[in-house]
Amino acid sequence: MTWQPGEPLTLETARFIVRSTTIYDVTEAMVAWMADPEVMITLNSPGREMTVAQLKRQVKRYDNKRGFHLTVFDRASHEAIGFYTVNCKPWHRTAETAVVIGNRDYWGRNVVIETRSAILDFLFDTMELHKVTGLPFARNFPSVFNYKALGFRCEGVFREHLRGVEGGRLDQCLFGLLRDEWHIHRETLRR
Amino acid sequence: MTDQTTATDGVDRARAILAGALELDPAAIGADASIATLEAWDSLAHMRLIAAVEADLAVELGPEAIVSIASLADIARIVEQQG
Repeated sequence: MTWQPGEPLTLETARFIVRSTTIYDVTEAMVAWMADPEVMITLNSPGREMTVAQLKRQVKRYDNKRGFHLTVFDRASHEAIGFYTVNCKPWHRTAETAVVIGNRDYWGRNVVIETRSAILDFLFDTMELHKVTGLPFARNFPSVFNYKALGFRCEGVFREHLRGVEGGRLDQCLFGLLRDEWHIHRETLRR
Repeated sequence: MTDQTTATDGVDRARAILAGALELDPAAIGADASIATLEAWDSLAHMRLIAAVEADLAVELGPEAIVSIASLADIARIVEQQG
């Protein structure tokens, strides 16, 4: 694909378009996800009230070079259903991803497997990164499932590493995937 | 009871748990069933599965057990170890 660092990114899958979020994509619906405790609990966040202007400022911090804020759109309805953040460390050739699927109608429909696959192709093949990581907490079962389904390995558990928003402490997992592992694993997904 | 019997019991129990979480006929779950082979095994089904394993064993699984589950064999191993 032709993409230069700093340019907005667009990735297409069978059902979704994943592209760099612009300030024009930030809507009340997206702000509502950030305030929805059931959505944000996946990030160990209680959900917080934000204004559209605040979220636009947050989105503008991503430069499409070292950091990406990517909105997931349903190709059929053109509706925004969630977003990714991707933070890269170019010198180390690594990146860390996180995702929120804000529209509950899309939960359990393998959105993350399909869209993160496209993001992994981009990070490994276009950006030529060596490793991608994620840091879900252990009892975020859907997130753990998605990492495992994409071939990530749990490289370790940070025990009682986070304060839970609902009390207590949470174990956090480090999931990692190397470029060579992805190139083997993605062929099994395409069968 | 032999070790072989225990292992068979563990697989059968694991198969019943998995079938319930995925809303499938246990007979449809082969010995090699995994997240890569069962279309019904999606992220929400996985959430139901962990809850069902914990309810069956009456324990809260530790993080190492949680992140190890990706196949029928993995569930059977946990059932045998913790059941």
